[in-house]
Amino acid sequence: MAALIRLSSVCRRGVKPLFYQSTLLVRPLAVPHKHQEQPYLLTARIHSSQALYASGSNSAASLHWTAERVLSILLLAMGPVAYFSPGPVIDYSLAAALTLHGHWGLGQVVTDYVHGDTKIKLANVGLFLLSTITFTGLCYFNYNDVGICKAVALLWSK
Amino acid sequence: MALLLRSVYLRCITFGAAPMGSTAKEEMNKFWDKNVRLNRPMSPHITIYKWSVPMMMSIMHRGTGIGLTGAVSAFAMAALVLPGSYPYYLDLIHSLSIGPFLTGLAKFGIAFPLSYHTYNGIRHLCWDFGKGFKIPEVYSTGYTVIGLSVLTSVALMMI
Repeated sequence: MAALIRLSSVCRRGVKPLFYQSTLLVRPLAVPHKHQEQPYLLTARIHSSQALYASGSNSAASLHWTAERVLSILLLAMGPVAYFSPGPVIDYSLAAALTLHGHWGLGQVVTDYVHGDTKIKLANVGLFLLSTITFTGLCYFNYNDVGICKAVALLWSK
Repeated sequence: MALLLRSVYLRCITFGAAPMGSTAKEEMNKFWDKNVRLNRPMSPHITIYKWSVPMMMSIMHRGTGIGLTGAVSAFAMAALVLPGSYPYYLDLIHSLSIGPFLTGLAKFGIAFPLSYHTYNGIRHLCWDFGKGFKIPEVYSTGYTVIGLSVLTSVALMMI
């Protein structure tokens, strides 16, 4: 009888319901069909689920996301500043912001296209090296040469 | 009952299920390792799916981003490695008498990726604030970005 009931649950609603049954619970899933109507219940369930506490809640990824957007806005603001009041302060700020924005951007590209633990690690090491060299070069240029703002101005006056 | 037990057993074997242990990242890596191990071919995706303006703009945003970062890095490395100063190399290029057309083309080549990436970046930031997701809005803001990029690049080319 029980077997028939189980079988019918598979046939009628597919495999998904099986995951919710306690015998199959290897990690708590919290995506019942009702979640669209009661999102706060779902959120509450996710935040109180055992897996989350087992692994420790981590907001690093979302903080990173926010930092990326803040940096983008900062970099946007630096454009007009660089145009209207060039100088060493904006030169070094631009060097830092440009390098970091590029570093984080390429980091996303690596995350999207590189798979496998070793390859990911290698790619990120390479990226870190590239960004370090870039920042060093830009600072060197700012210190020993004309600086970023002047360089752009000179290039365009050519 | 037997069916249920068999499906549990199979599922535990297939997913290597450990009680409350494996993270999404681990599962993803397992998936990709299995793909490599079984030498699975990649399903056709960009070769068969119909291209759309938002798709093209998205990959353009990524492409210009990579290009711009590459250019900045190349510039930084050149600054470290090359012996002369910036004005020296600028005069060197100037002495090649490239001509106005090619100079303009080069200026456009620098200005366009920068302006496209900047304007589309603003569009992305609007999305991050939750604005402009309706499909007509996606297209209208998209065309605006393209138009502004071309105009800005042409204007910068003239200076």
